[in-house]
Parts: sequence; structure tokens; C-alpha cells
Amino acid sequence: MGYLEVSSLSKNYGPTPVFRDINFQMQQGEFITLLGPSGCGKSTLLRCIAGLTPFDSGRIAVGGEDIGHAPPQQRGIGMVFQSYALFPNMTVFENTAFGLKMQGVSASERSTRVSDILKLVELQAHTDKYVHQLSGGQRQRVALARALVVRPRILLLDEPFSALDARIRKSLQEEVRRIQLQLNLTTIFVTHDQEEAMILSDRIFLMDGGKIVQDGSAEAVYTRPNSCVAARFMGNYNLLDAAQAKTLFGMDIRRQLAIRPESIDVRAAGSEGSPARIVRHQLLGNVIRYQVEAAGVTLLVDVLNRSAASLLPDGASIALQFSPEEFQEVA
Amino acid sequence: MHAKRYHQWVVYGFIALLAVPALATLLYSLSRQWGATILPEGLTLDWYIKLLHDTRFLVAFGHSLLIAVGTLLLATVVMVPTTFVVAYYFPTLDRWMNIVILMQFAVPPVVSSVGLLQLYADGPLPMVGTPWVLLGCYFTIALPFLYRALATALQGIGMNDLMDAAHLLGASTFRAFMYVILPNIRKALMAALFLSFSLLLGEFVFANMLVGGRYETLNVFLYSIRATSGHYTSAIVMGYFIFTLCVTWVATRLSR
Repeated sequence: MGYLEVSSLSKNYGPTPVFRDINFQMQQGEFITLLGPSGCGKSTLLRCIAGLTPFDSGRIAVGGEDIGHAPPQQRGIGMVFQSYALFPNMTVFENTAFGLKMQGVSASERSTRVSDILKLVELQAHTDKYVHQLSGGQRQRVALARALVVRPRILLLDEPFSALDARIRKSLQEEVRRIQLQLNLTTIFVTHDQEEAMILSDRIFLMDGGKIVQDGSAEAVYTRPNSCVAARFMGNYNLLDAAQAKTLFGMDIRRQLAIRPESIDVRAAGSEGSPARIVRHQLLGNVIRYQVEAAGVTLLVDVLNRSAASLLPDGASIALQFSPEEFQEVA
Repeated sequence: MHAKRYHQWVVYGFIALLAVPALATLLYSLSRQWGATILPEGLTLDWYIKLLHDTRFLVAFGHSLLIAVGTLLLATVVMVPTTFVVAYYFPTLDRWMNIVILMQFAVPPVVSSVGLLQLYADGPLPMVGTPWVLLGCYFTIALPFLYRALATALQGIGMNDLMDAAHLLGASTFRAFMYVILPNIRKALMAALFLSFSLLLGEFVFANMLVGGRYETLNVFLYSIRATSGHYTSAIVMGYFIFTLCVTWVATRLSR
């Protein structure tokens, strides 16, 4: 039995289903990510768990207690919003203390707990500042502190880093994970960024079209996608149909063949492997992404950018060596 | 540089032009006599002193203040929760609200006051001649300013997210509204209230037609003494102008 249990959860907006028959469990202290493209229903699912949006059918239980019909105030759930949703009329201290004040916690205890949590998120020097005096990263940390100070049973993070620049996003990702582990907090994170999901999560729930299409550890979901949707979303998988797989490898498959771009080796022309030609290349920093053509099939190949000399020009002839053990047949 | 100076002079010129009537009224209210000469014959504060000792003026001014403040209190009590309820629970009603609040602009005040006279002259609510009819009537004048200002402010502060956050932190809807929403729409509310206050204080048509001398307001009083000394009426106008200026200054200070 899990700490959080979501069973047969469904939600429609009028005749349009948002998500259908969602089932998952998570253990106490686990960090899971709902990953998926925009409109897949992940944020609505999060809001249903928080009690902010009613669902049509199903059950949500925390620690065996059905909370599906309890108002958000009584669920013991903390949430960090994409927009921060900080109260502009309050200082950092007042924002953080708001939840405790609503719970009737005494002023002295409020002060102690708020100071402790602001220290944890490294904002103790900004307690008297108003929201408009803070940077984006600081605002997000206030939002996190505000959600944590009430000691929620579950913490929900709704795309909390999407409005931040890359550098602050990375440092906040590490900080969130550090705090989550330190407090052993059961956390659900929503994002459409697969890299962010892989960095943070114990488990990833990949959603598409209102359904969980795959779940598992970051490694499992990334290396063993069970569908074309998962393969497309988790990486830049090459998806070959039966005819292309037959042409390239002489394989007889009934579904589609997914090949990770980084599992293909690029060798000098004439070496052992399938002859190919570079159509064009993209420099992605530490990785060079080649679009190549082999036997009339276009593939993406990712190569580590070891040195400037290793960059191959467009039009160059090469040989490709595949690792069949990395091939994944997907539906 | 030359062009900039030219533009500056054009702006100053316009300001001076607009200030001429106010300055002329001020000068007239301060002059002992101003007839066939270019400049007034002697300056005096007598008209202002007379004004402050005129009981009829003070009562009329008090009536105007009472009706304006009363109307705005009523409008605040009714419209703040109503706008919140519409925005939070029934956002689709916003377009209907926009039609309702604009309806008063479709009918000229003279026409609607005739209608109101017929409705409230007798029958179950004979209110004509009492300040109550003005209270209701002025409420409709303040309505569009209040509703639009509050609705825009609620939209601007991201009300739904703030309410969600407050709910998750344990606040009831009432406490979330009182602690979070209300303080964040205060500026918009104050601005709308002071704008409406200035408008209501200067309202004449409804006051004259529905109540007239039975509950004399400042503008009705001003109209009734139009045939007496021009210096005296100028002093009243300047007093009104300075009062409105002070109210606007206070509003600006409070809105910061």
C-alpha cells in the first residue's frame, strides 16, 4: 500500500476528457514527476490532488485516508505554483508565516518556524522585503518556504522553474532536491522538461492524452520506452517503421524500432558498418547532433563533442555502427 | 534642442490657457469690486469669510458630502463582494455586468430623472424630495467606475492563483478575501472611490430635479444664488475647486 494512492481518477471538462482512469501509488519520501506535453492533463491532475479542481470519479487517499472530497484547507497538501502566487501585500516573512497564522499557531512559534524555514532556503537576509523587491529565483524560494513551513504531508510543484533562466533553474533544482531529501518529503513535480524530470525524480510518470503511458525510474523510462510517444518525448529517438528496419538491418519487426541517437557510433568511411552521408549537423554544446542518411533512411546521431577537429562537415561520407542490444521495439 | 524648447513652450502655453478661467475666478472671488476696470479695485477675503458664515452654504455642502460619502459606502459594501463573487465564482457573468453598468450612460440624466420622478413620487416608495432617492441614483453613477476598476484589479493580481494558494495554506474563502485579495485591490478601490466622489459632489441634474430645495446640495445652492453677487459665487466655486483638489491629493497619497 502506498502513502499516496490515486485510483481510477477521471476528469472531464464538459464532453472533453482531461484525463481518464489514472492509477498510481507513491511511497512516503518519494519524489515523482508527472511529465508530458502541454495539455496532457498533468497540471489538472495535480490540482485535483490538491483539491483545487474537482474530479469526476475515482479516489485519492493519503496514508489510507480518503481525501478526495475534503476541501484544500484540510488535505495537508502544500503547493508551489508556476506563477509563484505570492501575496504582494506581504513581506517575505509574512508570506511564509501566512499558513501558520491561518492554522492558529502562536506568534512566537510562527516566528521560530518561519526563521528556520527561511534559513533552509537561504532567504534569512530578505525577511522584510516585499515580493516586488525579489528576483525570480528568490520569489520561487519564498513560495517553496511558504509551502514547506506548514509541514505538508505532500508537496506539489507545478512547473515551478519554467519562468526562470537556465542557471537559476539548475541551482534551484538542486536546492529543491536537497530540501526534499532532507525533510523526507513526498513530492509530486509537474514539468514538460524531460531533462528536469530525469535530474530530480525517483520515478517518472509519462503522460500523454490524459493517460499515464509509462512509469518507472528515469533510466528505465529513458532507455526502455514502451511506445512511440514515450520514445519521442523522452529523447530524440529514431523511430523506424518495419520497411526501414528491413532495409537498414534486415530485421523483421511488426511494430516500430526505436534507436537512441547516442547509441549509434560514427566511424570513418570504409570502416565496418553501414555506409552513410551527413546531411547536416547541429552543435548543441557538448554534443554534436548529425542528421545522416543511410540506405535512404534519415537518422539522428549524437556524438560527444571531444574537440573542434572531431566535427565532420555536411556531405561527408561515414560509416554507422549500431548496437542491436540498444534497439527497442515500440508500439 | 530648439525643437524641444518649442514643444515646452507649446505645453506651457496650453497649461496657461487652461489655467486662465480658474485664475480669473480666483481673482474675481478675491476682488472687492471688478467692473469697468482691467484690474480689480482692491483685494479682499470678505467673500470667503461670508461663505464660512453662511449657514445655508454649510448645510448644502454638508448635504452634498453626506450623500456622496453615503453613496460610496453603499457602493463599496455592495460592489466589492459582488465584483469578487462575479470574478471568482461566475466569471462568465462579467460580460453581462459590463452591459448593466453601462446602461446608465445610454439614458440622459434629464430623461432618467423624469422616469425616477414618476416611479418614486408616490406609490410604495415615495422617495422624491428625500436624500434616499439620490443615494440610489448616485449608486448607479458610481457603479461603472467601481466595477471596472475592481474587476481589472482582480484580474491584474492573479486572483485565482492567490485564492488557491491561500486555500492550500488553510485560509477559508472569507479569510483569503480579507487578508489577501482586499489589501491587493485597495489602490484600485481608493482610486475609483475618489473619482466617483468628485463626480458625485459636482452632480446637479438629478439633485435639482429629484430633490431640489427640499434637501439642498451644493450645486443646487449654487444655482439658486446665481443671480446674487458674482464674487460670492466665485468664492463658492473656488472653495469647491480647492476641496476637490485636496481630495484628489489625498487619493493620490493613499493609492501609493
